[in-house]
Amino acid sequence: MDRSQAREHLEMADRIVAASTRELPLRAQAIFFIVWGLAAGSTDLIYGLIGRGVAPGWTQWIAAALLFGAVAFSAVYGRRLRSLDCGMTFLDREFLNVLWVAMAVAFIANVGGWNLFPVYGMGAIWTVAASIVLLYIGLHENRRALAGGVVLIVSLVVANFSPAAVGYVLAAGFYLGYAGFGVSELLAR
Amino acid sequence: MLLSKVRLGVVAALLASEWMTFAALAEAAETTGGNLGAHLSKLVESGYVEEEKRFVARRPQSRYRLTRRGRDAFLGHVKQLQSFLKGAS
Repeated sequence: MDRSQAREHLEMADRIVAASTRELPLRAQAIFFIVWGLAAGSTDLIYGLIGRGVAPGWTQWIAAALLFGAVAFSAVYGRRLRSLDCGMTFLDREFLNVLWVAMAVAFIANVGGWNLFPVYGMGAIWTVAASIVLLYIGLHENRRALAGGVVLIVSLVVANFSPAAVGYVLAAGFYLGYAGFGVSELLAR
Repeated sequence: MLLSKVRLGVVAALLASEWMTFAALAEAAETTGGNLGAHLSKLVESGYVEEEKRFVARRPQSRYRLTRRGRDAFLGHVKQLQSFLKGAS
């Protein structure tokens, strides 16, 4: 092997390793963001409508059904993905760990801290957890995720200064930032 | 074993993955399916790569992952290449 061949081999190996350790394209997971973005956004929207007196109180059961549907979908689709598991990198695995830890902490804060957080506080916690997930993906050279994370954080701040429209603003953050990110990942393939 | 560019590419592609299918491996290693098969067989025979055959949705699927031996060989080979280039410069 001569010098140019050695350099060529090293450059190729470096390029291949870099592609699989730096990028986080998310492939099949994009659908999770769409489902959860729509479910969480709709939940915020429903509570916003209830808070404004536009929707009756019983509609909160629609929100509960949407979240239950998202959980059921995640369980079924996640199981299918695991059975097809064919190209998961260690970085993909790390991302899934971050996703589940962030969402589990948000869920526990909601269930175990319902005396601490009013209704919109719970919605805000989900926004924070979702933004952590997107910003983590964004740190791995995914600008769409970075933009989605920023949208969620901005929605949190805007909601804080818009007491009359908290539910609507948080909902918009989830629709645009989270579900929108999932759609953009699907379109980018 | 890793003097072949294709085999080096395969091992590099497997380095950061748990398992990879044949098709995904061909794409990641920047080679064609026809070229990949023979090189993969050599890597499996030498114990650098582990092969698993299974059925997914009633279709046969082969997937591959790097062994400890393959990982060590890759790191050693890269060090050798780097030393060679340093010595030559």
